[in-house]
Amino acid sequence: MAHKLIWKWKPTFMLPLTFNSQSKHVIRFHHHPFSSLKIHHPINYTTTAAAAANTSNNGDCVKAKEFLELTDEELVRQCEMDFLKSSGAGGQHRNKRESAVRLKHLPTGIIAQASEDRSQHMNRDSAVKRLRALIALKVRKTVDLDAYSPPRELLQILPPKSTVRGSEIGPQIGPKNQKFALGMQALLDLIFAVEGSISEAAKYIGLSTGALSRLILSDDSLRKEVNDLRASKGMKPLK
Amino acid sequence: MKLSLSSVYTPYSFPIILKSYAFSNLCKPFCSSALSSSPPISLKPQVPLFLRPPIYSTKFCDFKKWHDWAKGIASSIGSTFVNSDNGPDSSILCRELKWLMEDAVEDHSLFSKMGFENYDERVKMRVGIEELYDLWKERIEKRRPFQYVVGCEHWRDLVLSVQEGVLIPRPETELIVDFVCDVVSKNEDLKRGVWADLGTGSGALAIGIGGASGIGGRVIATDINPVSVAVAAYNVQRYCLQDKIEVREGSWFEPLKDIEGKLAGLVSNPPYIPSKEISGLQAEVGRHEPRVALDGGIDGMDYLFHLCDGAALFLKPGGYFAFETNGEQQCRALVDYMKNKRSESLCNFEIVADFAGIQRFVIGFHH
Repeated sequence: MAHKLIWKWKPTFMLPLTFNSQSKHVIRFHHHPFSSLKIHHPINYTTTAAAAANTSNNGDCVKAKEFLELTDEELVRQCEMDFLKSSGAGGQHRNKRESAVRLKHLPTGIIAQASEDRSQHMNRDSAVKRLRALIALKVRKTVDLDAYSPPRELLQILPPKSTVRGSEIGPQIGPKNQKFALGMQALLDLIFAVEGSISEAAKYIGLSTGALSRLILSDDSLRKEVNDLRASKGMKPLK
Repeated sequence: MKLSLSSVYTPYSFPIILKSYAFSNLCKPFCSSALSSSPPISLKPQVPLFLRPPIYSTKFCDFKKWHDWAKGIASSIGSTFVNSDNGPDSSILCRELKWLMEDAVEDHSLFSKMGFENYDERVKMRVGIEELYDLWKERIEKRRPFQYVVGCEHWRDLVLSVQEGVLIPRPETELIVDFVCDVVSKNEDLKRGVWADLGTGSGALAIGIGGASGIGGRVIATDINPVSVAVAAYNVQRYCLQDKIEVREGSWFEPLKDIEGKLAGLVSNPPYIPSKEISGLQAEVGRHEPRVALDGGIDGMDYLFHLCDGAALFLKPGGYFAFETNGEQQCRALVDYMKNKRSESLCNFEIVADFAGIQRFVIGFHH
């Protein structure tokens, strides 16, 4: 039956839910969703990872950027899903409202979970949203700097004063917009390619160093990712 | 197997008032207010807390005092309930307390100010502060289910009204909606047909499949319990699905006689707990939820067998069914029963696990 394709069950994996009402509060009332997530090291997305990825309908390997272009359902199909449930008979026997959901994206190993909502279904949606943001942050593509031209999704998150951004790109997309993740991913690809140098990266996207810094600092997760990279290269963090 | 009202009601300790009301069987649920002289229970469904108007006002310090009191009680429970009947522990109770506050208080930004002592403001609430004390006492001392305390359960993307007398929908059952979405997405005939949810309770499954699956036809929800019928109808109206979902009062297939052999799909989460296990249930379930919605007879399979028999008769050729069970043993027994006794009409049986890995559902088709 096809519904088995929707998710992969992992029946034996059960974790007790540790609950901290204080930290949940934080997740719920701030827009930044990552405080409860396991963060992995950046995944350099090469052929090895591609080989492990599910193949799309036409048989091509799914590429890093394409993970984010999948529909929620397609993305979830690449995941192992655990519902963090207490053990026991379940069903009509139980009233415990354990509704946490954990997604493990098999091609990349990225894990996202959500437990703050009262319904399992809504937690699944939140977990997918977080997974998308984490993929954007953690999955890197190699950039050919000699032939570099900023992709559209990156241009969309740049401020209008960027000299490479035409007016046809439309209004600037901010961190609260779901499409920001795609642009953020492309920006991180570029910053990784120039080994963390903000002034170098700024040249490729027609911004001053200050303007790019401000863009990076506008999103906590983006700032953290850039600063982690800079720290690994012995550079000072952006503040 | 034929079910009559008496066979369902008599063995159980279903509330006396309801029982007599059910037997009186005089009117449709929504007319009940016209009979105010009849038994002192109204079948006008209760409005969930979060939908009531915020007409109460309390000083912040009094609200905080209540919160600290309630939290203290929740914390003092520790694992007492877990040890006695695998009930909720402190962390779950604290989470419920937070949800109770969300439903009771209009302005949620208040919660970030709980740490301040002299916050000089009034709190607008949907319930009086005295009642909040009573509600939390009932939750802890009587083990009244949290969902009855707030009058709703979050299920899939729905918020369903529930009250005493109506089974609280379980997260496991959410999966049946996914099964249905999946099967109708590939089969125009099933998509256009008439579906039924038997023993609908709060109406969860009917509303889930009626709203989410893109089913073009009708959904008929049945329940023998007039309180469930009233609550299900209320929930259907809340989601503006009254043109699509019809709630009928009666036992299992009895209200469906007009569509025998014409159903495209049939779903149900019938009572399936073996009678002898009822007394050992978690207090929230055993003491408060309607026994008619839990007790499935000696081995818990009375109604599941009845559903299989009915599926053979009421589904049209190519029709689909999905039933929830108590677990692997019941799933196997049910599939064996259908293979041996109903194979001339039912086929393609499959057992599907729930998210905790328990073999929970039996699905299949009519030839």
